[in-house]
Amino acid sequence: MQKIRDFLKGFGEAFRDQSTEYIEFELKELENVFALVLMGSFVGIPSPPTTLVLRLMPYMADEIRVMESRAVNLDDVFAQVAGMFDID
Amino acid sequence: MRDYLLPKKGFRVIFVIGKGGVGKTTTSASISVALAEKGYKTLIVSLDPAHNLGDVFMEKLRDKPKKLSENLYASELDMEKLIEGYLKHLEKNLKNMYRYLTVINLEKYFEVLSYSPGIEEYATLEAVREILNEGDQWDIIVFDTPPTGLTLRVLALPRISLIWTDKLIEVRKKILQRRNAVVKIKGEQTYNIDGREYRLPKEEGEDPVMKELLSYRSDVELVEKIITDPEKTSVVAVMNPEMLPLYETERAVESLRKFKIPLNLVVVNKVITLREEIPELRVKMDAQRAVLSEIDKKFRGIEVMKIPMFAEEPRGLEWLRRLGGMVFEGEGTEAP
Repeated sequence: MQKIRDFLKGFGEAFRDQSTEYIEFELKELENVFALVLMGSFVGIPSPPTTLVLRLMPYMADEIRVMESRAVNLDDVFAQVAGMFDID
Repeated sequence: MRDYLLPKKGFRVIFVIGKGGVGKTTTSASISVALAEKGYKTLIVSLDPAHNLGDVFMEKLRDKPKKLSENLYASELDMEKLIEGYLKHLEKNLKNMYRYLTVINLEKYFEVLSYSPGIEEYATLEAVREILNEGDQWDIIVFDTPPTGLTLRVLALPRISLIWTDKLIEVRKKILQRRNAVVKIKGEQTYNIDGREYRLPKEEGEDPVMKELLSYRSDVELVEKIITDPEKTSVVAVMNPEMLPLYETERAVESLRKFKIPLNLVVVNKVITLREEIPELRVKMDAQRAVLSEIDKKFRGIEVMKIPMFAEEPRGLEWLRRLGGMVFEGEGTEAP
């Protein structure tokens, strides 16, 4: 009984994962863009008003931490994108 | 009487701009003396890092307004101190949040930040904003500004900052919408990093980044609204009857128009009148004549007034009073 329940649960999760895959990918990219724009001066792209950046930075701490850990675990971006669009 | 120098809707803000050395400080000082004598509570603030407002009044000035006479208050802003204080405050804030980054040695970074390009403009804007924020305690605020280039950039900053902020708000909104969508389908998302659990905000109300973006926006919008309102702000451009100041003033008029900041008066300062011709000054007089005839053509719709070169340097309250009277009641010409 438990096994069937687990199976169904996994089944449902897979569906949910599939449905949010694109949104999550877009979300991650948007988060990257947002952080990149804020810290653009580090990599030489024009940055928003210094005042604004400095005022926002304290609140970006958690987000940057999460992004950092994502970057550490990042394996193969191209494979990820290819997988998302069903390219084998 | 020049109405655009008097308060109409709340307080009046007057920016006196111009090339270095044309007499901005003297002009702004005399305007403020004249206004104070008319009974308006007037504050004159020098934003120029090369302070000489105190020299014109022959008084020592600080960043706190000092009472010089009935209704007249003056201050000189210390930009370096302003930048330093501003960064100190931010450093403390950042250190609290990024404790795990202490290895980076933030102090060193902040030392460099005070030299970062544009920081002076931002600090100036911040100072202007603070003064305008508490503008209601004055009838008139006169700003004696640094030379044109820097001033124009400071005056353009609110517009540019608003564009940036709006774009960032847009991206942030998208991020929050997507986070919200993911949570609705998959449930609360948490990230476990080094034993600490992180949950990222998904509603606009609980997102401190969004709150800060919106509060910055309203701060900048306040300045933008005041400096583009012809009933609140007037810009006075000061120039000398020479070619280079003329070109610079022309460019200033153009960019102010682009940013919708009302420029009402061009003061042509140090116009030389000779009782008899002096051969050594002929070239200068010819140039002056050429510029004066150009001016009326160039500044259409803007009042132009001329102030002669005086036999002695106009310093001290008595002189400023006389000069202020001229700027106020003196005859001007307006090109149709």
